[in-house]
Amino acid sequence: MSEVPPTRMNQQVFKGKKKAAESGHKLLKKKADALKVKFRDYAKMIAETKGSMSSDATTAFFSLTQAEYAAGNFKQKVAEGTLTARVRVGAGIDNVAGVKLPVFTPYETGSIADNQSLGLVGGGKKIVSVRDKFTVFLHQLIKLASLQTSFVTLDEAMKVTNRRVNALENVTIPKIQNILDYIDRELDELEREGQFFFSRVTIAIHYHCE
Amino acid sequence: MASTPSGTHGGMADFNIHHGFIEALIRGMRSSFLADSDYHHITQCETLEDVKLNMSETDYADAVSDLTVLTPSGLQSAAINKLVTEFKYVRTQAVEPLATFLDFITYEYMIENIMLLLKGALSGRDINELLAQCHPLGMFKESTMRSIPTFEANAKGFADLYQTVLVDTPVGPYFAMFLQESSNAMGGEVRNVIEEVEIEIIKSSLIKYWIEDFYQYVQKLGGETAEIMGDILMVRADTNAINITLNSFGTPLNEPVMRTSDRKRLYPAVGHLYPAGTHMLADVSTEEELGKVLDLFPQYTSIWSVHAAEAEMSIDDAFYERDVQALELAFESQMHFGCFYAYVKLKEQEIRNLVWITECILQAQKDEINKFVPVFSSHAPWRSSTKAR
Repeated sequence: MSEVPPTRMNQQVFKGKKKAAESGHKLLKKKADALKVKFRDYAKMIAETKGSMSSDATTAFFSLTQAEYAAGNFKQKVAEGTLTARVRVGAGIDNVAGVKLPVFTPYETGSIADNQSLGLVGGGKKIVSVRDKFTVFLHQLIKLASLQTSFVTLDEAMKVTNRRVNALENVTIPKIQNILDYIDRELDELEREGQFFFSRVTIAIHYHCE
Repeated sequence: MASTPSGTHGGMADFNIHHGFIEALIRGMRSSFLADSDYHHITQCETLEDVKLNMSETDYADAVSDLTVLTPSGLQSAAINKLVTEFKYVRTQAVEPLATFLDFITYEYMIENIMLLLKGALSGRDINELLAQCHPLGMFKESTMRSIPTFEANAKGFADLYQTVLVDTPVGPYFAMFLQESSNAMGGEVRNVIEEVEIEIIKSSLIKYWIEDFYQYVQKLGGETAEIMGDILMVRADTNAINITLNSFGTPLNEPVMRTSDRKRLYPAVGHLYPAGTHMLADVSTEEELGKVLDLFPQYTSIWSVHAAEAEMSIDDAFYERDVQALELAFESQMHFGCFYAYVKLKEQEIRNLVWITECILQAQKDEINKFVPVFSSHAPWRSSTKAR
């Protein structure tokens, strides 16, 4: 507090700073609220996806059991084949309330499935249904992964924003306010001193003139 | 009375001289199949520990006692090993021609093992891992098996592989026929066949040759074996043909070009559907056309209607039921080799059932648990008419 000379110019400077800080604080608060809303949305979507995923997982794995009953052990045949990915995950960036969140989108590479004739001598239909069910499961997985990474990033961003809001509220603005108060007080005192001096001088002059 | 075994196995009069003991063994083993009450107990179990407890009261007691924790895959390997031990015991007791007959049964598994080794070699897997995954009934000389993946995956490698290794195996001739046919069809490039053609198609072709070969052999044996095994193999060939056609819809095999060249080559030259049916099947491109073709063959209309109804059972289940019925009948008469083939296949079905039940318990899908085909069950649909006595 002692570093700031209590001049009118500084008073203007610090008044400007206070206004800037307050408007910044208001904007940040809006951003924090928007993030909070988005956060709650994501939390809800994650809960929903997780719920449906457990049933998707059971159907997918059970269809695998059914296919193995009908077609024998084809797991090794799939594992031994050439493995080129048919579905790939693309990482993109989504801008939510000013925060860049990572999102995963599935996209088909269009490469043909290598094992199309897998269930040729029995169980073909079941293998096709295994493929379908696991594709659904895979898409759910990608969606959930995307939601969860966005959620984590969003959480970080929200914490940072809240910290800034609190810092502004509890540290910066009071500090500026204190400085402004000090300047006001000093200016008042200077004025009073000036007045006092002025009044003493006028009394002295009157005394001399008489 | 000649005591040297000859090509045929004799009829009622002299079958028992050479094969009576072994047939008695097989009939004894027939009683080791799980009964309805066993299946009932096992399906009522809540956990796999209960299953293990119940299994220890059946013929699987020894197999199961070695497993500390029962898992579906563990149970499957233990059961398969038990089957293999039993089979090997029977095989060591057998003389010709039964010995060749039993060997024919193992060729099917050999074909599968060879395809696994070849494919694994192409992808560069470790040989020991591959050997561990081979079906135990289809193992041949270890040295031969180890040398399969060591060949290079290029043109000359395959020609060498065939000439040195595969030609020694009993299934070598099938490979020869397959390579011959493919090179004729593809215009001369023998070596790229294994790379370009999908592994399943190669396997289906080899199985086709095996069925045909087995059928010829069985006809040569004559007598009851020719009749009963012939019928079983014909049904097997037809099942393959129908399944190949049905499952090829939606895959490249269904293209008009491929249909005549490739898919037709996969249909075996035996069976009720041969030759007229398979000729018609080669042109089929949708399920309705397939249904129309099958309408001409009365024994398959009921199976097709199961598929068309798309109700609880699938066509695979219908085929399994039909197979189990035919195989059980093989035990009903004597003086033929059919009961040996039936024993192996019915044991396989039982193992499938056990894996299905344990998986259902593990995945908590109790409402699906009864969808298996029990073997020698008194509740089977084809026996229900005899119950009212």
